Amino acid sequence: MKVLPSRPDFEADPALARGPAPAMIEIDRVSQTFRTSGRQAHLALSDISLTIEDGAFVSILGPSGCGKSTLLYIVGGFVSPTEGVARVKGRAITGPGPDRGPVFQEFALFPWKTVLGNVMYGPRQQGVKSPEAEAQSRRLIEMVGLKGFENFYPKELSGGMKQRVALARTLAYHPAVLLMDEPFGALDAHTRTRLQNDLLNIWERDRKTVLFVTHSVDEAVFLSDKVVVMTRAPGRIKQIIDIELPRPRRRAELLLDPRYQKYVVEIERMIDDTSEDGLRP
Amino acid sequence: MMTRALSRLAPLLACLGLLAIWQAGSLMLNTESFPTAMSAVRAVPSILGDKESLVNILDSLRRMAIAFAAALLFAIPLGLMMGRSRLVASFFNPLLMITYPVPKAALMPIIMLWLGVGDLAKMLVIFLGVSLPVIYHSFQGARAVEEKMLWSGAAMGLSAPQRMIRIVLPAALPEILTGCRTGLVLALITMVTSEMIARQSGAGNILFNALDMGQYDTVYAMIIIIGAMGIGLDAAFERLRSRLVRWSEPGFDIPLSFA
Amino acid sequence: MNARALTSEVLLGIVPIALALAVWQGISSFGYAPVTLLPPPGLVFSRLAQQLGTSTFQYEIASTLFRLFAGFSIAVIMGVGIGLAAAASPAVNAVVRPIVRVLAPLPKVALYPALLLLLGFGHESKITLVAADALFPILLSTYYGASMVEQKLIWSAMAAGTPRRQILFKVVLPAAVPSILTGCRIGLVISCIVVFLAEMISSTDGLGHMLVTAARTFQAVDMFVPLITISLLGLILNGLLQGLRSYLLRGFPEV
Ligand SMILES: Nc1ncnc2c1ncn2[C@@H]1O[C@H](COP(=O)(O)OP(=O)(O)OP(=O)(O)O)[C@@H](O)[C@H]1O
Ligand SMILES: [Mg+2]
Repeated sequence: MKVLPSRPDFEADPALARGPAPAMIEIDRVSQTFRTSGRQAHLALSDISLTIEDGAFVSILGPSGCGKSTLLYIVGGFVSPTEGVARVKGRAITGPGPDRGPVFQEFALFPWKTVLGNVMYGPRQQGVKSPEAEAQSRRLIEMVGLKGFENFYPKELSGGMKQRVALARTLAYHPAVLLMDEPFGALDAHTRTRLQNDLLNIWERDRKTVLFVTHSVDEAVFLSDKVVVMTRAPGRIKQIIDIELPRPRRRAELLLDPRYQKYVVEIERMIDDTSEDGLRP
Repeated sequence: MMTRALSRLAPLLACLGLLAIWQAGSLMLNTESFPTAMSAVRAVPSILGDKESLVNILDSLRRMAIAFAAALLFAIPLGLMMGRSRLVASFFNPLLMITYPVPKAALMPIIMLWLGVGDLAKMLVIFLGVSLPVIYHSFQGARAVEEKMLWSGAAMGLSAPQRMIRIVLPAALPEILTGCRTGLVLALITMVTSEMIARQSGAGNILFNALDMGQYDTVYAMIIIIGAMGIGLDAAFERLRSRLVRWSEPGFDIPLSFA
Repeated sequence: MNARALTSEVLLGIVPIALALAVWQGISSFGYAPVTLLPPPGLVFSRLAQQLGTSTFQYEIASTLFRLFAGFSIAVIMGVGIGLAAAASPAVNAVVRPIVRVLAPLPKVALYPALLLLLGFGHESKITLVAADALFPILLSTYYGASMVEQKLIWSAMAAGTPRRQILFKVVLPAAVPSILTGCRIGLVISCIVVFLAEMISSTDGLGHMLVTAARTFQAVDMFVPLITISLLGLILNGLLQGLRSYLLRGFPEV
């Protein structure tokens, strides 16, 4: 499962030129079994191994119920795997930590806090002094395009705005890894495109490691260095595809790029096949 | 299996534990006005064995049952209509708001002036006490019924009254039953209080007469009897409720009881 | 449009109250009921207004309010505390759950004689009764609210570096506030009812005591006054709680 770093246009970066990037996340033969209320054992993830380099943008695609969220929760430390280990920077994951920031599909904003309060929560928790945390948070809110909404409550925002607050709240405590579970799933196509661009801009600047779950093949190809395709339940890794498209990526150029189109078609075909694959051992 | 049996037995264990604490407390305080749990429990059979007390207690229960049933017949339709019509709701809401904090048993002296101390006065008070929570919960339940469900009912050709009975009533049933459960405990409480105020007959009367006459064993034995009635009625009702609304999500699994 | 709809709703709500008053007035002024049984509303309300100015009546209200607040406060503190603890710790839950199952449906008024014998006829027994009755709705809704907190809120806070011990106060408690306040509203109504009943059963002061004294001497007017007063007190306290609610829940979506 060795996958080479796939950022040809960053080869010039001296830090990266020294050799393969160090592994940020290692998922080592992880399986997850759930006990259902009918007291049956349900295998959700089966023998997953995956290595993600520092600074890589990795997407996970797969049919519904194949365990994508579960895998993300394991890396987040919210769920501990029944077998195998997950490691971050070489250390086994035992619980959540501010080095891995989740962005949930449901936003999960604190309803009792304003936009500013939500974004400030992380830095304050890290011990940053209040005025400084506020200044940082205001900058972040501006960056995600919500200047002027600092004192709004989550209920007063649209879905896309909430999603941006959720992103800002997670970015505010500078996690090395972003764990995003269908973050744009609930959004309209237009907002979705805008947020994809925002996310790419942020990523290209900060070079965080991103683990990104999505159902959209376009989105995965557009954003990622690497796309992981999983099989139907019990989830296994079917294939890992390196997306060798130049960065920085422009949506308008990419959509016309035959290489992009080839990736999309190839992956879509692969997902169509997964139903048969799931039956094979 | 083990844990399941244990969770069945847990309330029983809790009862025994509370009795044990009582026993220990009374042995420590050692005053005449706080007999041990043992002697209180021992006084229970003699009260239930006494013909007059038993008739009194059964009379109380009969009044309670009639008033409770009448209250349900009145309160559920009213609550459902309030839940489905803004007009009806805004008509009755303020009236309910001002009557809610009034203790219904406290109306006893006034109602006694009008109707005497007979069964009717006591039943009227219980009726009033039960009605409010049942109206309130039926109202909440009916209001929460999804509009789309009614639309699809209308599309299937159900008339408005049919929709009320075939859609709103079953959909609101879990909430209605929660209200009924609260109402049941409330009926018991109002019964005790009203009899205590009227001081003529019934379980409440036995309790407070014993208190006045300093028969402490009887006081505590009556507390046990009335308490057991509350817990028993509630458990029975809960069994019925969980059978009727098996499909619904569990809400509060313990009733909210008050006077 | 909206404001007009609201006014018409308020007007509609006044109708049954006005109607009841009119029927009441009608019955007494057409002589269907003698004044000793049903005094006309004018008489009752002027008596209420006159009483409100006297210091004895103010004293009765004050002692009722004191017991009400004392009992209610104890119920809030204990209910929220135990409810949170039961939601947070399986061990506490295993103990609290069966006890609550037994004690919640117990008619607490029946315990009042025992409280009188144990705590005497003063404030203590009444405050205890109020607290015992208001406790359970608050406890249950706290428990309910705290155990229904969305998992992802807790995860978000943990990922931001909140230690496990602080999650209870930083996430679970604020997220449970809507439910806790609903419990408090029920608890408040109960407190009003119970304090009045306790004062009726045994007291030397308070609104409930006023009613009993009036009933002994068959003063119908004076029987109505404390009843209307407790209803007004309930309305005012409920309004205050509603204000607190809309302040505390300004961020929460409409329930
Ligand atoms: N807490 C749980 N208890 C029991 N089974 C669970 C639990 N969480 C997830 N599962 C099961 O694990 C499997 C994977 O769930 P998961 O949520 O990870 O899927 P997913 O790939 O994220 O699906 P989707 O694309 O629909 O979000 C499912 O079959 C689900 O039934
Ligand atoms: Mg998922």
